[in-house]
Amino acid sequence: MDAFTAWLHATALSQTIQAVRWIVPLVQSIHIVMIGIVFVSSLMVCLRVLGRAGTDLSFDEVQRRFMPWIRGALAVLLATGIVLIIGEPAREFGATSFWLKMLLVVIAGGLNLSLARAPATSSARGRAIALVIVWVAIVFLGRAIAYDVEVWQSLALHG
Amino acid sequence: MDLAAFFQPLEASFIGEWMRGSLKAMPVVEATHVLAAATVFGTIFVVDLRLLGIPGVKRAFTRVSEEMTRITWAAFALAAVTGVLMFIANAHTYLINRAFGLKLTAIVAAGINMLIFERYTRRGVAGWDVGVQSPRAAKIAGLLSILLWVAVLFLARWIGFTKAYDFSVPDDPNIQFNF
Repeated sequence: MDAFTAWLHATALSQTIQAVRWIVPLVQSIHIVMIGIVFVSSLMVCLRVLGRAGTDLSFDEVQRRFMPWIRGALAVLLATGIVLIIGEPAREFGATSFWLKMLLVVIAGGLNLSLARAPATSSARGRAIALVIVWVAIVFLGRAIAYDVEVWQSLALHG
Repeated sequence: MDLAAFFQPLEASFIGEWMRGSLKAMPVVEATHVLAAATVFGTIFVVDLRLLGIPGVKRAFTRVSEEMTRITWAAFALAAVTGVLMFIANAHTYLINRAFGLKLTAIVAAGINMLIFERYTRRGVAGWDVGVQSPRAAKIAGLLSILLWVAVLFLARWIGFTKAYDFSVPDDPNIQFNF
C-alpha cells in the first residue's frame, strides 16, 4: 500500500465509511441506479444516431431529452464513486480494472461531447456505437474490481 | 416444502459446479446481470417518467412505451438467465437470505403493478396518448414502478453484503450462517 492510500485509509472519513456497515452497500446501490440512467440515456442517443429509435424526433431533441440525465447521473456516479474510493482505497487503487475503468470513463465523456457537437458527420455512427460499447466495458470493469486477481491474473496490480 | 432440498440437485449439477469452479464465470455472469438489470431499470424509468409527464407530454406515450419495452424485455431475459445461474451456484445460501426474498417480492409486485396498468389503465390511452397529462391511475402506476424497481436494485446489491458464499456442494442443505 503506497503512502497516499495508507493516509486515505487512515482518515476519519474512511474509518467512518468502513465502520458503518450500511454506507458501502447504500452508496453502491445508488451507483448502480445511476449506471442504469447513464447507460440507457447513452443508448438512446446512440440509437437515434443510428436511426433505430426516436426517429420522430430530431437529434437535438433526443439530445435535449437525455443530456441533462446523463450529466446529472454522471455527477452522482462521481460523488458515490469517490465515497467508495475513500472507504476502500486499497481495493480501488490496487485494481487493474479500476484504472482501466477510469480511462474508459474519460473516453465515454469525450465521445458524448463529440457526439453532441457533431452528430451528423460521417463518423457519428462509429462514435455512437463506440459510446455504447465503452459503457458496457465500464460496467464489466466496475464489477471486475471485486475480482481483480481472477480476471487479470498476472496483470492484476496487487496479485 | 423444503426448498433447499428441492434445489439441492440443481446446485450439485454441472452448471452449479461450473459456476463455482470456473474463475471467470462468476465475474462475467455478475457483470452481465448488473448491465441487464441497469438496462431494465433505465428503460422502465423512461416510460414511468413519461407517465408522470417528465419532461413533458409532447411525445406519444404509446411510442415511448413501444420503443422502450422491446429493450426492457430483452434485458429482462438476460437478467433472468444470469440471475438463475447465480442462484444455482449457491441456491441454499440465497434461500435463507432475507434481501433475496424481498427482492423477488419486489419484482413480483412490480409485475402486478405493470399487469394492472396494461389491463385496465392503458385501455383508455387514446384519450391521453399525446399532449395531455396522464390520468391519476397512470401516474400512480408510474411512481409505484419507479419505487419498486429502485427497491429491486437496492435489495439486489444488499444480497452481496448479507449472503454467505459457500463454494462446496452442500451435503446438508440446512447449513446455518451467522449473517
